Amino acid sequence: MSDLEIALWSFPLLLVLIALRMPIGLTMLLLGLGGSVLVNGTWLPVLSQMKSLAYDTFSNYSLGIIPLFLLMGQFATHGGLSKALFDAAESWLGHRKGGVAMAAVGACGGFGAICGSSLATAATMAQVALPELRRFGYAGALSTGALAAGGTLGILIPPSVVLVIYAILTEQNIAKLFVAAIIPGILAAVGYMLAITIYVRIRPDSAGSRDPAPMSERFRALARIWPVLAVFCVVVGGIYAGIFTPTEGAAFGAAGTGLIALLNGGLTRSTLVDSLLQTASATAMIFFIVLGASVFNSFLAFAQLPQEAAGWVTDQNFTPYAVLISILVLYLMLGCFMDSLSMILLTVPIFFPVVTQLDFGMTPEAFGLWFGILVLIVVEVGLITPPVGMNLFVINSMARNVPMAQTYRGTVPFLLSDLIRVVVLTAFPVITLWAVGL
Amino acid sequence: MSPYHSISSGLDQLCRGLAILGGGVLVAVMVIVVVSVSGRALIDLGLGPIPGDFELVEVGTAIAVFSFLPWCQLKRGHVSVDVLQTVIGRRGDAVLSVLYNLLMTGVAGLILWRLWAGMQDKITYSETTFILQFPVWWGYAACVPIAGVFVLVSAWTVVRSVVDCMSAGQKDAA
Repeated sequence: MSDLEIALWSFPLLLVLIALRMPIGLTMLLLGLGGSVLVNGTWLPVLSQMKSLAYDTFSNYSLGIIPLFLLMGQFATHGGLSKALFDAAESWLGHRKGGVAMAAVGACGGFGAICGSSLATAATMAQVALPELRRFGYAGALSTGALAAGGTLGILIPPSVVLVIYAILTEQNIAKLFVAAIIPGILAAVGYMLAITIYVRIRPDSAGSRDPAPMSERFRALARIWPVLAVFCVVVGGIYAGIFTPTEGAAFGAAGTGLIALLNGGLTRSTLVDSLLQTASATAMIFFIVLGASVFNSFLAFAQLPQEAAGWVTDQNFTPYAVLISILVLYLMLGCFMDSLSMILLTVPIFFPVVTQLDFGMTPEAFGLWFGILVLIVVEVGLITPPVGMNLFVINSMARNVPMAQTYRGTVPFLLSDLIRVVVLTAFPVITLWAVGL
Repeated sequence: MSPYHSISSGLDQLCRGLAILGGGVLVAVMVIVVVSVSGRALIDLGLGPIPGDFELVEVGTAIAVFSFLPWCQLKRGHVSVDVLQTVIGRRGDAVLSVLYNLLMTGVAGLILWRLWAGMQDKITYSETTFILQFPVWWGYAACVPIAGVFVLVSAWTVVRSVVDCMSAGQKDAA
């Protein structure tokens, strides 16, 4: 077998092992080790690489942003901000048909602006919104579907852990990626609300009704969410304006939400310990996948796969859009059973050199941002596609009275909305690039 | 309490303590950055950034991440995919867990062994950091014992999954 064949065969093997429930980080790490030994014919290069790889990966300054963002999300969860966001959204939207579900989506979007993780957003908002949705007579499928989809706004709206990883892998500017993600993120929230509107039109019995809140109450509720805006502006604005590095921005975000939680009385000894333990678990999980992926990707590099793949695609004279669309469809399929971070870490090092060879009529910088946002969206769809959608599991574990099959059905309108948005953003790159002035 | 349960709760305490300690280091990193950036912004008032804050962030993050690994392994925190669970069955699933925990123990051992070798290299070449000029091997040395705990905990998860496997077998037989 040639080196390239070894690299190509590693992919089906990887998928089989992952389907057999092998932890994804472990699978990539072991196949990467084994593959490198086969390609190099000796253990020595891998063993010498491993001397510094773990320490270098874990001490990487840019990756330091990840535990800080996760800590920020934990503090935000305990800071009572999720309740304030939901109350504000509900007072403005709640009286409309399907309005409480729309409020849940809107509040998820707001929470996404101070939290970089979809799972945390879905879990936090579900805690606040599920009882209200039940109280106003919303059907189980609509409630869980809206919350699972709303949760994806955690990552679509910056700050976003997945975008950070993409930026590091492809050497893009994190600040510009964050700003480019804002408009597509808002479009996502609006699209989900439209999906709810259409859904309740078709099935009027799935949503109850509520009296409109008086204007004075609406503005009072709105005023209570200023800390969210303040933290978002300091973190994303500060990073974009170049006042601090992304990692420093994340530290400010964590400190800011921590302070808010402390002042609201949400941060006690036990919730602090809980925040640290949750951060610990999520951080270790992510860094172990990052470590596994870097071992796997260095094996692919030893086997020259990224260069060969890029060369092959160029030789075939495919039209650029055909390649791009195939990649996006592949992500949607992989997303049915892989998590977003693993997909990005596994595929971006191969796909990015391929797509940068193609001519989309834009500068490399603009292309890097646009491609990043498109990939971000399609991998996020994976969070709500059955059978393995992490957000569905999170919501399902919290809404015990709604069977999983109903939750699956509830996501359909939101999936359609996601697909339409991917098509629109692919056809009109300007929507993504306008905010960064490219 | 049986030896199994006392080891189990002892390791739980150890990993929990280590994860909280790592979390404390992360909070310290956060505070260092906030103080340093504020100092940098107020340079006109005679304040300034903390020298080498960059390097402190790097060492701190490394120690924190290493301290988080045992907790994640003990709490089955690693991402995996459950599509074939019904096909494989309880027994098969339990056997797979034993296998994966064994492999994880191997990988943890490899990480520890190579981290140790990497530390020897850094001592030999007396590499120091750029600004603070402290030896790079100090960071490695801080992480080596934590990586040792990771190996220990991974090995324990093998024992735990073997016990689970036996009880799954008994339930299938009954």
